[in-house]
Amino acid sequence: MTEAAHAHHDHHHEGLPGTIGHVTPLKTLFKVLTALLVLTVITVAVAQFDFGRLNVVGAVGIACVKASIVSLWFMHLRYDKRFNFFILVGSFALVAWMIGYILFDTVLYQHNIQEYKRDQQAPAKP
Amino acid sequence: MSTGVADHETKHDLPARPPELAMHFDNMHQQFHSGKLGMWLFLGQELLFFCGLFTAYAVYRGNHQEMFHYVHYFLDWKLGAVNTVVLLVSSLTAAWSVRAAMLEQRKVLIFTLLATFICAGIFMVVKYFEYTHKLHIGAVWGGGFNVADADLPAELVAKYPDMTGAKLKEMGAGSFFAIYFCMTGLHGLHVLVGMGLYIWLLVRALKGDFNRRWYGAVDNVALYWHIVDIIWIFLFPMLYLIG
Repeated sequence: MTEAAHAHHDHHHEGLPGTIGHVTPLKTLFKVLTALLVLTVITVAVAQFDFGRLNVVGAVGIACVKASIVSLWFMHLRYDKRFNFFILVGSFALVAWMIGYILFDTVLYQHNIQEYKRDQQAPAKP
Repeated sequence: MSTGVADHETKHDLPARPPELAMHFDNMHQQFHSGKLGMWLFLGQELLFFCGLFTAYAVYRGNHQEMFHYVHYFLDWKLGAVNTVVLLVSSLTAAWSVRAAMLEQRKVLIFTLLATFICAGIFMVVKYFEYTHKLHIGAVWGGGFNVADADLPAELVAKYPDMTGAKLKEMGAGSFFAIYFCMTGLHGLHVLVGMGLYIWLLVRALKGDFNRRWYGAVDNVALYWHIVDIIWIFLFPMLYLIG
């Protein structure tokens, strides 16, 4: 089945006979670069305005889109074995989980820290 | 499956066992995809490795939003943007080098490998100027943070005229710069390693070492390079842009 898939691929893309993998057309590579540059300009432009908390969401959101574009085309995950795709997605899921869980934790205990700091600064009781 | 692949190999009049094929692999396909799987596992680990620092950033930012707003004026977003463009272009040349290796275009391969190396060099030169300026004015990590009021960024002073270096130190600006130098430093270290890898590829390409079935090194180094690019795609807005 894998070999059939390879043969099927060979039909569509340029490349020498017997090439392993998918040759990405130059046009695609330049389109990807253009998209990434446009998204960079958008990131910089959006950051000039104050949207409060939405600034962080917007910046990280655009960065995620850019990272997806890089991994799908430049890293050719679109044409690669699915398993490699799941390694990347799995890693990102663990990253999101760790950051999310620890942020949740730090918010939950923040008032304890603040109380402790207040106690430290308060004048010693007689 | 192995017999099917053997047919595939003889079909194009290539030797049944190419000299590049290591003895512990059945065929070139298996060898290529094994190497790539190893690279992807390493890259997955790289993301988790950087994750610790991103978490530190998120926690400190969450708890010290005001301080993060003031100190982000210390970073010049224009230099950050230049470096972003340089890395994006280098990602294009890296992807192009893989294509050139697959198509056995030796001159294009050498040119794109060299272009990727030069872009990485430009990135490091810009980083060098950023770092030396920060070290010079004392915008450094931890208790070492000591910036004279005259050295505060003009934009910060224009917006908050009564801001002083001592106030920033009191707010914990040192912990921001600890995170800044750790994140960009670790990333910069990856760029330096990438530059070494591209020299290695360049030497091999000049020797005519790669072909359509033997370009795993070019492909895997490019994958590594793209991950370095992806990390910077997150670092740039998080450190330079959002205050």
